[in-house]
Amino acid sequence: MDFDFGSLLAFIIFGVTIGVVYGIVALGISLIYSGLDIVHFAHGEIYMFGAFLGLVLSQQIGIPYPGAMIGAMILAALLGMFIERVFYRRLTRSGGGYTVSGMGMIICGFGMSVALMNVAFLIWGADAEPFPVDFGIEPLEINDISIPPSYLLTAVVSLCLMGILNYFLRYTKIGLAVRAVAHNKDIAFLMGINVPLFISLIFGLACALAAAAGVLVGPMQSVQVEMGYLMLMKAFAAAVVGGFGSLPGALIGGILVGIFENLGAAYISASHKDIYAFLLLILVLMYRPAGLFGIVAKVKA
Amino acid sequence: MLNIKEVHSGYGKLKILRGINLNVPQGGVVALLGGNGTGKSTLLKTISGLVPVMEGSIEFDGQIISGKKPHEIVRSGLVQVTQSKEAYPAMTVEENLMLGAYTRSDSSVVRADLERVYEFFPVLRQRRKVLSGTLSGGEVQMLVIGRGLMAKPKMLMLDEPSAALAPKVVLEIFSNIYKISQTGVTILIVEQNVRMALLLAQYAYIIRDGVIMIEGSAEDLINDPSVKDSFLGGTVANTKKSLNS
Repeated sequence: MDFDFGSLLAFIIFGVTIGVVYGIVALGISLIYSGLDIVHFAHGEIYMFGAFLGLVLSQQIGIPYPGAMIGAMILAALLGMFIERVFYRRLTRSGGGYTVSGMGMIICGFGMSVALMNVAFLIWGADAEPFPVDFGIEPLEINDISIPPSYLLTAVVSLCLMGILNYFLRYTKIGLAVRAVAHNKDIAFLMGINVPLFISLIFGLACALAAAAGVLVGPMQSVQVEMGYLMLMKAFAAAVVGGFGSLPGALIGGILVGIFENLGAAYISASHKDIYAFLLLILVLMYRPAGLFGIVAKVKA
Repeated sequence: MLNIKEVHSGYGKLKILRGINLNVPQGGVVALLGGNGTGKSTLLKTISGLVPVMEGSIEFDGQIISGKKPHEIVRSGLVQVTQSKEAYPAMTVEENLMLGAYTRSDSSVVRADLERVYEFFPVLRQRRKVLSGTLSGGEVQMLVIGRGLMAKPKMLMLDEPSAALAPKVVLEIFSNIYKISQTGVTILIVEQNVRMALLLAQYAYIIRDGVIMIEGSAEDLINDPSVKDSFLGGTVANTKKSLNS
């Protein structure tokens, strides 16, 4: 393939777009990790549920796309809070406070992933469903490559969601309490914060973000029961690359993963597209285990 | 104000406290003294609700608080000042202080109280935009005390405010605690620094192996040779144990 600057630019734009979506899912994983001390392996399935819920709301019920997205986010947040209350809380509690000792939680997460996937299979079947949305914007043409409007919209909406979340966490009282709970639950309790309630809130928030990602990716690809698995892996890679628990880290990690895999697919081999994210993950773990923006935990014993 | 009757508590099956009786009168300063691993911190956590009460009862301000959740106990006006290493290092000084006022909804008064804390600890005002993880040990101790004050407590419980601080800083911290008690806040102070704590408190309890060994007025305890022996005996034995392990 001849080198051509225009197509390079287009590939980078594709990468950034999908990358911000990885970023918002990664942010949810990272939020749950700091709030509940667990890596939530069923988060990809929440993303898949979000995509299906968005599809049902907009195509079958006929709610306009933005409304369908907000609806899917709310429903996914409720689903997530239900799962956390009913299944995860018992396990996180048994470890003494909310810290988890052992593998129980990880296995429960994997089990939840399979269970959710099969529930979705029972409801919607195994076929890939198209999610056509007319955004009323012309595709952006760069040389011979046209970038569909759904990509542009995705990038803008994802960045807005991140901005809102950043504002919420940094400048509101509730956001301050969320950060306190994420950092240390015992101290948060002593500040008078209702910690169990906030853990539910954090879980719901993370699930709403995943659902937003699902509704954004739906129109780009299609909606399918098994779409969650790869998203989980990519988002996990993004969270680790950026540094677990860091909000700008999740965004930049996502964008890096997105660009890396698009350039790899374009210039090395398209059939191995999914390798590149993990290659990046391995490289970062080898040379900077705390991630690009991760702060090495300063623990004074 | 705080009444602890025959309290047993611990972690899971491990019982740490075995029948504690302790009483803090309104407006008073009471010290709880003991070496490492004697149950001091467990008692504080039990009062705060972080560790469940197995037997016995705790009454604060006329209400039974044993069995309540920690955040409910804070709302009733009983606030624990955490150990100094337990500030939120990734938050600024001001964010830490505002977190202390989390339970309050009177936001204009909260601003005024923030000013009051800054007047109390001027160094915190200078460093209010700084991440608290970068503060010195003495400054963090002032921060956690200030954070406790932001909750507008009826009673403060302090967990080893002198730990790991230089003697001059300890003196400053203790004089601030004295000033706080003069404003009418009831204080329970947990300490290993017996001399400083007995200077501040009117009454003291000495805890060892989860039971109260000795109690009495501060003056009596200062002059009681057995206090020195039992207390130092405990800490020396513990130091030896930790050296051997």
